[in-house]
Amino acid sequence: MAVSTETPALAANRPAPAPHRRRYRWSEVVAGYAFLAPALVLFAVLGVYTIVYGFSLSFASWNGFSPHWTWVGVQNYVDLLWADPARAPRVHQAALHTLAVMVAVPLLTVLISFPLALLLNSIRRFKTVLRSIYFLPYVTAGIAVYFAWQYILEPGGAINTLLRTVGLGSLQQPQGFLGNPSTALPTMIVVTVWSAVPVSMLLYLAGLQSMDGNLIEAAQIDGAGWWRISRSILWPLLRPITAVIVLLNVRDSLQGFQTFLIMTNGGPGDHTNVLGLEAYRLAFLARLGPTLGLASALGWLLFLAALLLAAVNLRVMRRVT
Amino acid sequence: MTHRECIRPVLAVLVTLALGSTVAGCGGKSDDSTGGKTLTMWTFKQPHVKALQDIAKGFTAETGVTVKIQAYTPDDAFLTKVQAAAKTGDLPDVLEGHANGDDLTFGAAGLVDDLTKDVDAGWLNSYLPQVRVDGTVTNQYYQSSLAKDSTLKGIKLGQRFSVPLTIGTFGIVYANKKRLADAGVTTAPKTWEDFVADLAKVQKANPTNGGISLGLKAPSTGLEWFLQPMAYGLLGSAPFRALWSKDNAANFSGPNGVRVLETYGQVTPYWMPGTQSLDIDAADLAFAQGKSTFDIGGTFTLAFLAQNGFDPANVLTFPIPAPAAGAVPNLSLAPFTLTGLSVSSTSKNRSTALSWLKYLTKPDVAAQFAKAALDVPPINLGSDPSTAVGPALGAMIASFGSGPSAYNPGDTTYRPNAYDSGVVGAALMNFSPLKTETAPVTGRKLTGLINSYWAKQ
Repeated sequence: MAVSTETPALAANRPAPAPHRRRYRWSEVVAGYAFLAPALVLFAVLGVYTIVYGFSLSFASWNGFSPHWTWVGVQNYVDLLWADPARAPRVHQAALHTLAVMVAVPLLTVLISFPLALLLNSIRRFKTVLRSIYFLPYVTAGIAVYFAWQYILEPGGAINTLLRTVGLGSLQQPQGFLGNPSTALPTMIVVTVWSAVPVSMLLYLAGLQSMDGNLIEAAQIDGAGWWRISRSILWPLLRPITAVIVLLNVRDSLQGFQTFLIMTNGGPGDHTNVLGLEAYRLAFLARLGPTLGLASALGWLLFLAALLLAAVNLRVMRRVT
Repeated sequence: MTHRECIRPVLAVLVTLALGSTVAGCGGKSDDSTGGKTLTMWTFKQPHVKALQDIAKGFTAETGVTVKIQAYTPDDAFLTKVQAAAKTGDLPDVLEGHANGDDLTFGAAGLVDDLTKDVDAGWLNSYLPQVRVDGTVTNQYYQSSLAKDSTLKGIKLGQRFSVPLTIGTFGIVYANKKRLADAGVTTAPKTWEDFVADLAKVQKANPTNGGISLGLKAPSTGLEWFLQPMAYGLLGSAPFRALWSKDNAANFSGPNGVRVLETYGQVTPYWMPGTQSLDIDAADLAFAQGKSTFDIGGTFTLAFLAQNGFDPANVLTFPIPAPAAGAVPNLSLAPFTLTGLSVSSTSKNRSTALSWLKYLTKPDVAAQFAKAALDVPPINLGSDPSTAVGPALGAMIASFGSGPSAYNPGDTTYRPNAYDSGVVGAALMNFSPLKTETAPVTGRKLTGLINSYWAKQ
């Protein structure tokens, strides 16, 4: 066994050896940068270039075909927010619909997925089968499923048939659930929640399974029942997960529009038009009108709203965690 | 590290980059047009593909040139595809687009060639006289190109950016002949009132599937295909055009506008349930599947119905009729060019492409196309077109009109440049079929929207 003869004090006083700065050969430097280059180029093209291009476009009028952009300054933003009597009211109406979706979807998702996760965590039999079933909407969600929803919700669809069969014919929608202006938006919210619940439930389930069992055991010894444990122990401990679920769903509700595009195209009339769909329409469904700048401006307004929401969420997260 | 070890990573990078560029190169435009032997053509009309492919076989036999036809549908997807291809330099040789619309915009952007010098008098004379001018920059389009934000900016008077391929019109009612007969209706209605009475009879006989289907998910259809022809018949040309004016005594908010809306509202009880949630194809499909008894469309609808299994012999077609007390009681529909063919400015096969365009104007080729695609060609098919294209299409061609008693959906000169028929149509939907607003309120809203477009003029 080797024994040091040097005293610890001496060793501590000795200056540390100067760091050895190895000089790289030029070939190594070139190789290093060359390997970095694809990532840098990709970031420059797909990140920086598109952001700068999109932001510049929001100050221009262009239809995607003509050789030149017409610079209009902040007019696109002004038109969308209040100045253009043809566009601003549509944007306001779409903003109201988006707000309704942003409030209802996260709320309903939490209200459904949390109890569902508690239930799945507590049962002993068929746990895996039930988890798979509840997760199905997530793995199957796609264009085909939303078309299937359309068929289910149409006047002669499964829901009206079911209501009639069980004696609830008065609740049927003769024009279909998507054809009636009063039921179209709530129906779209339900479909969105249906596709959001699986992931939220999985997040809650992961939180529940990583929880210290001693906490629950101690509460049970103190006489707490299922409801008290869920309300006073599990719910507060899972608040960070709730915050994440709310943030993800608020963001999706703000920017997402695919479901609306496929199922209603904003209709009937404009009763389910949302901001994301309006931006898409301005960009791609304007029959060659010079509205790409307006679409870009609306996209940046949505980005600002998302930024604001992220800041609020950050503060809330700090408070609850 | 030896010299060889130093150079190894550099070599590895160079090999990687070389392979990468090779792979990237594979994704670029392939030169499939070697020696002018292959032409590529894009269309947004799926029913045209098979018909054009069959015709292309004859063209190949005659010239040795193969024509590859590709469809990108719906038309919005087609425009996006053209937009992307223009950016990457991958445009095909020939494009079939909306005439007097897409073609002129493509021309203004330099995507398609000016054909003025190529389309000589001999070529032009092969088309019907009323559509010969379609595809050219008339004074109307030139003036509109001068407006702020015009998509036609840069076009010059007299330029030609397309030649007609199909003609037709909107505002044609397709009815299930058998169901009509079962309800005691054996002839096409002559007036709007007769039409509404027939709707009531058929609805009574077929309560679940006796209604009208129309793809109101695209809200402009209700306005342009249904209300406008009736309004023209009710008011006549000048008062009809004034509905889009800024004069509140004559536009939609005035007495004429409210009268038009209230007349249109008479069909509200007869819409097929849920038609407001269907797109155009789905509405036509609903008719083909028997979910509705009436379907509003255009000359182009017949092809779709036949493609989806509806027997053309079981269809009764008639134009939207005018009210009995209307200004144009004998209302007919004027044809205009629906789709035109353009040659892309990047085509390496310009002369071959022009030969293909000219080949399609031959009377026998045009008749073959019409029969196969069930669409109306711009060629004169003689006094009895039924012999060349069959009875259903022939009857439609025979019903075309001209002059002041014919409503021409292709004439949009009375509307402001920035007019968006989808937005205006959505406002109309709140009146019918949704019934959430009255005729006077809807009239005021339509006028408000139209005035906002005039303000941009």
